[in-house]
Amino acid sequence: MATDPASPRGPPLAIEGLVVQYGERRAVSGLTVTVRPGEIYGLLGSNGAGKSSTIKSVVGLVRPHAGRVRVFGLDVTEAGLRTKEEIGYVPETSMLYDSLTPREFLEFVAGVRRLDASTATARARTYALAFRLESEFEEPIVALSNGTRQKVLLIAALLHAPRLLVLDEPLNGLDPRSVRIVKDLLRRYVTESGRGVLFSTHTMEVAQELCHRVGILDGGVLQGEGTVPELRGRIESGDASLEEIFLRLTREDEGLSDAVALLGER
Amino acid sequence: MGWREAWRLGGVAFGELSFQAVYAFRQGNLVPVTSSKSLVPKGRSRVNQSKAIVSALLALLAIGAAAFLHDGARVSSSLFGYVIPATVLDTGVLTGLLTLDAAFLWWTGLQVLPTLLSSAVLPVLETLPIDGPTYRRAAAILYFRLFDLPIVTVLLVTPVALGLALGPAAGLAIVPGVVASVVFALALSLVTGRFFVHRIQGARGGGGGTAVRWTLLVLWLLPSFAILGFVTTGFRFLFLLQDVAMERGASLLRDLIYATYPVPFALLTGVAAHGTRDVGLDTAAALALALGAALYLGLVAWSAVWLFREIRELGHVPIGTTAVAPATTHRLHPQAAAWAVLTKDLRIASRTPGYAFLLLLPILDAVALGLLTVVDAPRASAAQGLAIGTVTAAALLATFFGPAFFAIEVLAYSYGRTLPLRDRSVVLGKATLICLIYVVASAIVLALASLRVNDPDLFLAFVLAELPAVLAAAFVELGWLFRRARAKGFPVANLYSGGWIAFLIAIPGLIVAAAPLVAYALEGLPLMAIVAVGELAVLSPYALGGSER
Repeated sequence: MATDPASPRGPPLAIEGLVVQYGERRAVSGLTVTVRPGEIYGLLGSNGAGKSSTIKSVVGLVRPHAGRVRVFGLDVTEAGLRTKEEIGYVPETSMLYDSLTPREFLEFVAGVRRLDASTATARARTYALAFRLESEFEEPIVALSNGTRQKVLLIAALLHAPRLLVLDEPLNGLDPRSVRIVKDLLRRYVTESGRGVLFSTHTMEVAQELCHRVGILDGGVLQGEGTVPELRGRIESGDASLEEIFLRLTREDEGLSDAVALLGER
Repeated sequence: MGWREAWRLGGVAFGELSFQAVYAFRQGNLVPVTSSKSLVPKGRSRVNQSKAIVSALLALLAIGAAAFLHDGARVSSSLFGYVIPATVLDTGVLTGLLTLDAAFLWWTGLQVLPTLLSSAVLPVLETLPIDGPTYRRAAAILYFRLFDLPIVTVLLVTPVALGLALGPAAGLAIVPGVVASVVFALALSLVTGRFFVHRIQGARGGGGGTAVRWTLLVLWLLPSFAILGFVTTGFRFLFLLQDVAMERGASLLRDLIYATYPVPFALLTGVAAHGTRDVGLDTAAALALALGAALYLGLVAWSAVWLFREIRELGHVPIGTTAVAPATTHRLHPQAAAWAVLTKDLRIASRTPGYAFLLLLPILDAVALGLLTVVDAPRASAAQGLAIGTVTAAALLATFFGPAFFAIEVLAYSYGRTLPLRDRSVVLGKATLICLIYVVASAIVLALASLRVNDPDLFLAFVLAELPAVLAAAFVELGWLFRRARAKGFPVANLYSGGWIAFLIAIPGLIVAAAPLVAYALEGLPLMAIVAVGELAVLSPYALGGSER
């Protein structure tokens, strides 16, 4: 797809000095991250590391306490509606309109995103066939399995062919076939001019396999960023896996063997 | 484990339910960016406030009825121009009171049911090593606590108020009646809840499926409409009761009325207060009364046992879905944003009884009153007045219930906020829905009354003149709710947890909707139209202006 000349310019995502705070608790502290064109950027972190808060700031669900978030050069707090048009988002939990069927839900999303009927239908049909969702297209979402709900969310995020995909644990609940499809889809997705993907996950294997660069968050602070070989260099271990890099950078390897031994004694 | 443990577990489950009722996290709301410590107490407080409002309303009804009957002869004389016999008046008024008690409690159950189902509090309890009897007790306690303060209010205030107004015998005699109303309301809530999950929630989409869902919803809600219709036509019932009570000799109609719930309990109270002299209580009627009372008391006992046995199943009633997946073309028909919001709300309402009720009530009320207009109006000019009165009721009902549609925004709120959807589109979509309810109700009245109304043009002009005021009222209500939601950072409330907001915001809305009606009464149609259009011109910028999120 050619880039619309009226589209805003700049990298798909530029986060500068982001601070997110809930009451007195600081979830993200001065985070700076850029997702470059053609890049799948993996955001890694333990539970409560600040991944979801970062993502919520990007999609306009949380107002940053400080710092700036720009999508293709547009500030999300100043041009929220415009940036939302550029983003396709899959949330961490599949909170949808349970009363609607997938068709009704996608119709609503397509209406809000001002898609024409033929484009929306063609894209929905393609993705529904790919995810084998066609037999559940008229079932209310409340009756669908978690994995199927996740597929509906993925289709909704892709329906308007956004230039930035923001995916918070998008593979949760998906069957192996669908995981494979999503991975292939994302790889091909970013080959189109100017597109980018921000991808949050706990699964190190997926991140290592899929992401061009990763950022490792711990306690709301970026502990390391780069390609896997670059991160190996940081911990001075030439053959370390991403899991080992993660544990070292977040210092979660400290006391790990003791914890495992403790479990073994029980 | 025993009752003490069940009470503790039921309390924990109710705390979670209150929390979900207010913040709706399981339905897709976002955790507010404030201190999380205050969320749980605030949730409990908000639910308690709503219960207190329903309870205050029920207490007012009981005290009002008792005050009315305390000086019944004088009040009925000033209202109707003659004195209605005391026992007949007692029976009529108390029949209305018991019906309203049951209706309000059932209504409360309808509102909280989707939250109870989506909160999954009962399935979570069932995964823990809790023995069967304790689990059943905890589930029953949880269910009872949905209604606790309103129930206690009905059970205590009604007998005490009537005891003070009509004497201790009457106060005691009403007790079986209020117990029956409470138990029937709880049982009806559960029955309708199960029906909802089985037949409506999982019903498939598409044109045919939508028609089936709406038909089921109308069927399901008919009893509650009948109750409200009874309230609307209460005076007619009172006159009918007076006529049959005065009849001499056998009367099948009288026996039937005396045996119909909740008349036996109301009549027994009337008899306890004023004796049998006014109510034509011959042997057949007395037998009908006794049999009716015994039957309903038996049904109360059976319902209570059934409730206790079945309540545990509510947490995991299987959702009824079509056995064979329907063939589909996957054709999408996207609409402009405001229409997309309207369509989404209609689709959600078609699978959510609480919202369907709000939408159908003004329309079915118009059907009932429109039919009465056709049947009853003695002459065309009276029909015209009745038709205009019915349209007025439709405008006020649509305005009163309108804000409740805002609560749909609770669903998937966090996801919805990530879409490029302007607040203006949401307000326009919901305001259009409110106007649509008014227009459909008015069209039904016009169609039904067309045979009797001698000047349909005037009627049509009245409907059109009020329309801008209905839209302006919707703008006031929704504009205020949106501002509040943005300021608070989360959706205002659902009906169970934030009823007081819906009541409060309806007041300015009702004033805006009623102003042109007052103008019509004073100066006729031209002033009415000017006031309505003026209101719309002044209030539109409030709802549709302002910065976008």
